[in-house]
Amino acid sequence: MPDPIVLLDHVTKRFAGHIAVDDLSLTVPRGVIYGLLGPNGAGKTTTIRMILDILQPDSGTVRLFGEPGGGRAHAERIGYLPEERGLYRKMRVLDVLVFLGEMKGVDRRRARERAGEWLERLGLADWRLRRVDELSKGMQQKVQFISTILHDPALVVLDEAFAGLDPVNAQGMKDTVLELRGRGATILFSTHIMEQAEKLCEQLCIIARGRKLVDGTLNDIKRTHGGQHLVVGFDGSTGTAAQVFADPRLVTKVDNYGQYAELELASGADPQEVLRQLVASGARLSRFELQEASLHKIFIDLVGPVRGDARADEDRP
Amino acid sequence: MSKVGAVIRREFIERVRRRSFWVMAMLGPVFFAAIFLAPLWFARGGGLKRIAVVDRTTTGFGLAVAVGLESTRGIFVVRRILGGPGVEDSLAREVGARHIDGFLLVSDSLFETGAVEYRASNVSSLEDIALLRQSLGRVAENARLERAGVNPGVVARAQVPVTLRTNKITRGRVTGESAGQSFALAYFMMVTLYIALLLYGVQVMGSVIDEKTSRVVEVLVSSIRPFQLLLGKVLGVGAVSLLQFLIWGVAASALIGRRAVLEGQLTDRGQDVGQVFQLPHVSLATGVVFIAFFLGGFALYSAMFAAVAAISSTEQEARQTQTPVTVLIMLAFFSSFATLANPESRLALALSLVPFTSPIAMPARWAAGNVSGIDVAISFALLMLGTVAVTWVAARIYRVGILMTGKRPSIRELVRWVRA
Repeated sequence: MPDPIVLLDHVTKRFAGHIAVDDLSLTVPRGVIYGLLGPNGAGKTTTIRMILDILQPDSGTVRLFGEPGGGRAHAERIGYLPEERGLYRKMRVLDVLVFLGEMKGVDRRRARERAGEWLERLGLADWRLRRVDELSKGMQQKVQFISTILHDPALVVLDEAFAGLDPVNAQGMKDTVLELRGRGATILFSTHIMEQAEKLCEQLCIIARGRKLVDGTLNDIKRTHGGQHLVVGFDGSTGTAAQVFADPRLVTKVDNYGQYAELELASGADPQEVLRQLVASGARLSRFELQEASLHKIFIDLVGPVRGDARADEDRP
Repeated sequence: MSKVGAVIRREFIERVRRRSFWVMAMLGPVFFAAIFLAPLWFARGGGLKRIAVVDRTTTGFGLAVAVGLESTRGIFVVRRILGGPGVEDSLAREVGARHIDGFLLVSDSLFETGAVEYRASNVSSLEDIALLRQSLGRVAENARLERAGVNPGVVARAQVPVTLRTNKITRGRVTGESAGQSFALAYFMMVTLYIALLLYGVQVMGSVIDEKTSRVVEVLVSSIRPFQLLLGKVLGVGAVSLLQFLIWGVAASALIGRRAVLEGQLTDRGQDVGQVFQLPHVSLATGVVFIAFFLGGFALYSAMFAAVAAISSTEQEARQTQTPVTVLIMLAFFSSFATLANPESRLALALSLVPFTSPIAMPARWAAGNVSGIDVAISFALLMLGTVAVTWVAARIYRVGILMTGKRPSIRELVRWVRA
């Protein structure tokens, strides 16, 4: 088995007053899209910062590309898009890209060429000599994205990459992530939006309050944590369906939205029995669908309802 | 190291491209020229006084007074009038109409007791009044001596004034530099160092806060060590300041090269310019001391400015937090006047050794006094030590601070960061 791209081995990071990351181990294999999932304040950004050598763990080790040395030693092979984004606002677009490329060890001339190509490709060629603050927000995000991948990194780290993107840009981001993967890059991204993760991740790790709750491939996690799920839609009348949902022999958990309900079936319960009883209850059904659990559901089940104690000061060193 | 090079290049190019750099480059020489030439210019403007002499003497002594005043630089006697009814009123009206600046009422008492009256629109200029009193005194003195039977030739010879030529000896050599020139040079260097330390220190602060508020810093420190980033910044801004000094230096030497022309245009009647102000001569050694202490002081203070920026979340906050650092620079500047007043005093010695004040005090002392090369070397070594120590502390604060947003850390937290 080839060396994993990222290997965290019992990594712990304490800040004044609390433990941000607690004995976390995870493995990101080569060439996958890996999701680091967790509620706000779970320790995602701290974990990413330790991978990138921006912070040093108090204990445990971080290994990248199977080689010693932190993220900074491998900066040439890593592209990083932090959660809080920004560029030098007063600089010209091309100059920013060349400078950030140089920071990644690309020589000046090469950085200039590549930046030109990317700007061309994303329709920003006419803006290359404009100042960054003359660009729209969407264009700035494109420029920032170019800066992340300009040096053709083998590992791309995206912290909350989809936060604050409008649907068009979110789609663009998703396409680019898939394209990068297609070129052989490994992608590690953090998010608290499970729908995005479910569509993109092949492997993932869910953390909360600095601890790992589960990791593995998406399919394995669904199989082991999924349970049997049923979506029921009503067409007007719901009859006495609520009584059927309340039967503990059939249903262990219900999210009833009125015209639509998500059920978790009791172990051993037969979905056909639920259907028979619903029909008998007088409800008019528009939908009856057996489903594997959504990642969202697994996440909520594992993490519990969103608590107010998520540390807002997670990022404070 | 090529990454540090890229940081240096970015800081340098971005700054030199800005309009403000060239505005400073242009304004600098104008400003310095103003400091040096303003005294000359102002001296000319107020110089010439048009006055009338009212002769009430019984001996015709008023004529001698008028002649005596006429030969005094800066005073022009419009006419001599014999005293009579209504004369004073009509002259007062002329003063009101600004035809003349004022008039003297000369009576026998000038000769006897030295009393004389001057009426004018402006009697508050101490310099003018002193000049008038001096001239009148000389006329009265001559007249009294002559009446006492002393030969006017003897009087004239007795009154040849003393000219004290000052000539500075620096490190055992006569430099041909006068007291005025030494003072001017030291003062000029102090002002320049003070302004430059503030100006470029604040630029380092601005650069740090810019990267922090724009969040670029997070990407940067994932590929370059915070200390290297800080180093690149300080070197880059330092290079900008050197370029600025180079421009100013070229402009200044052009100015000094045309000294004679400028002085001729700015003064009347071939006045002795040296008495008003003197443009200093700058030796190579002085230039080296100036640049060396500027760079040392710049490194010291810019590290502190960087730390200030790192613990602030916005530019406004940084401007408030910088106060202790700017106060320190101001302290260095103002205390260095003690060095000008007496370059050999213990205070001057202390100020030129302490790293926080030496960047301004030592060059001032060098220019004003007789400082040995050893003294300079010791002072510079101490400055380097201080810079290393301060930079070490500042870099630790910087390293943690640049990633932190929100509340400004307390002193206790800062201590923990430095110890960590």
